[in-house]
Amino acid sequence: MVMKALSADHAVAWGVRLAKAEVIPAFPITPQTLIMELLAEFISNGELDADLIPAESEHSVMSVAVGASAGGVRTFTATASQGLALMHEMLYAVPQNRLPIVMVNVNRTLGAAGGIWAEHNDSMPERESGWMQVYVEDSQEALDMTLQAYRIAEDERVLLPVMVCLDGFILSHTVEKVEVPEQGEVDAFLPAFVPRSSLDPSEPVMMNPIVPPEYTTEMRYQLDRAMDDSRNVVHQVDEAFKAAFGRGYGGLIDEYMMDDAEFALIVLGTAASTARAAVDELRAEGRKVGLIKLRFMRPFPHDELRRACSGLKALGVFDRSVSFNRYGPVFTEVSGSLCGSGVPITDHIGGLGGRDITVRDMRKVFSLIEASVEEGKVKRVYWHGLREAKG
Amino acid sequence: MAAQTLAEAAILGGHHAQAFPYFGAERRGAPVRAFTRIDDKRISIRSQIYEPDMVVILDETLLEIDPVVDGLRSNGSAVVNTRKAPSELDIGVSVRCATVDATSVAIEALKAPVVNTAMLGAVAKVLDLVTLENIQKAIADRFGEKLGPRAAEANVLAAQLAYDGTKEGRCLGARSIVQRRMWLPEWDEVPTGVALEPEHIEGVAVGPGSSIQNMTGTWRTSSPKYDREKCIRCLRCWFTCPDVCIKRLEDDHVKVDYRYCKGCGICADVCPVDAIDMVKGVHEW
Repeated sequence: MVMKALSADHAVAWGVRLAKAEVIPAFPITPQTLIMELLAEFISNGELDADLIPAESEHSVMSVAVGASAGGVRTFTATASQGLALMHEMLYAVPQNRLPIVMVNVNRTLGAAGGIWAEHNDSMPERESGWMQVYVEDSQEALDMTLQAYRIAEDERVLLPVMVCLDGFILSHTVEKVEVPEQGEVDAFLPAFVPRSSLDPSEPVMMNPIVPPEYTTEMRYQLDRAMDDSRNVVHQVDEAFKAAFGRGYGGLIDEYMMDDAEFALIVLGTAASTARAAVDELRAEGRKVGLIKLRFMRPFPHDELRRACSGLKALGVFDRSVSFNRYGPVFTEVSGSLCGSGVPITDHIGGLGGRDITVRDMRKVFSLIEASVEEGKVKRVYWHGLREAKG
Repeated sequence: MAAQTLAEAAILGGHHAQAFPYFGAERRGAPVRAFTRIDDKRISIRSQIYEPDMVVILDETLLEIDPVVDGLRSNGSAVVNTRKAPSELDIGVSVRCATVDATSVAIEALKAPVVNTAMLGAVAKVLDLVTLENIQKAIADRFGEKLGPRAAEANVLAAQLAYDGTKEGRCLGARSIVQRRMWLPEWDEVPTGVALEPEHIEGVAVGPGSSIQNMTGTWRTSSPKYDREKCIRCLRCWFTCPDVCIKRLEDDHVKVDYRYCKGCGICADVCPVDAIDMVKGVHEW
């Protein structure tokens, strides 16, 4: 193990190097570019034996990735916002063909209104695509989840692609202390990729055929089961990772101060860090608040959340994106899971377009959650920091 | 780069640290804020810093245009790139202050006015959480990896020279802190479709014509010098200038508008008779 000062983008590149990805199609986009720059350096220094393939667009990037993964090699790529949107069509070619590609999406506002800063409106729409989605909170988790993602994705019970999402700039460009594991340790945790079937002329298979309606329902259901069953694999891989490296992340959700909590907030990504600092302050003041860091949006941890939230007096959800005239996507998902539980839930929309989220903002979120016990006192959807006429 | 190198030096010293930039416009020369937190335990807060213990100012002229010391309390400290001694310097709040002529140091050590590593030397002198040795190790690591061992050596030297030349004292706090003009509409005042009218020139969202107010001439590091005698009046420079800084005169000779010229040198490049020469520095003729 070596201690390094790394940004999350560079931590990801280290993860990819240690995972020995062999094909890396790429197209540059801020704030993802640091990942590809460092990978290119590793390859040019002879430290990583991989083909970095510059493609003419993100649509082509994912097409190359599909070809490479179908050919049986460990494949990596990374993108952000408009790049992910341009990839949209090809994203769907991956899960149903059961290709365990790992991609990092550096969350960035999808324009218009254009911006380079963090928002989750780029990755949230892709939760219907069949990709697994995990949101990370710091540079260490970015590296560790790159390794875990390959082991989860390539598990024969799963065989699904994983999108590792990390907040642009707030994380992608933030330098922190990161433990970089030794190659031998990683090799023991993550053995070489053995494809279930691959494009090999000596043993021909047909992939990605046109499918008449007689089969589609069964194929979709098979994918649905694989996604649901992957919850166990996520937990097992996290346990194995903890045994190997001493760091675990709780699998699908990470609970903080939840044992005796009466009020809790569900939050994902870097906002979880600042929310944790707010919980520390409020606990010191004697308030019974807790935090659930939602790590995976797919598979969605519905059973885990029902268990973690049972007995709460009120619950809040923090969303860094919104579905207009409705709620944030996390709120919608959580409400679906907790339907019938009787716990009042409010949605807290904030951090849009990368607007800063402070400890004070998070304290306000908790105050509103506490107040929401009384019906009608707090709006169901609260837009934090919104400038509006008072009165 | 400076904030990240400072964080790395703190990590080398066994601390936890976090450093991140906040960009406004994506261009060289624009004012940039970067933040560093140092602690002995894992750092949880990820917001920007609003009440800093220390402010490091790489360009003294920012005091005129930006509230750089906002939130700094009198028990905090400041490190400023200036020729002045702390007692002659007014930053708007009287604090423990270290000054260094980092620009001269950088020109001596790096042959370029890039001051971030020199400033880190000054920071090492006043900040107990990092040593000069670790600052220099971090510089060698970051710059060596990117730019090679010679650049690393030169930047390590810049930190050393600045460390040696840093003056400590207390600065003045008489000037009023300049406030940024920001257009912050309520939600129902945002123009529909964000179609901005010419008066909206403040903040990040700028309306049409705002480039007239935004004098970009100070961005340049070299300036075009026009030789009227050599000019054959082909007007290629006038046609190719990306910022419309070459003005066409009635007789088809030209004149440079230095208020907006960013010094890209395209005019000099396209001139077939070398009538435009790019001269280092910000000049006007």
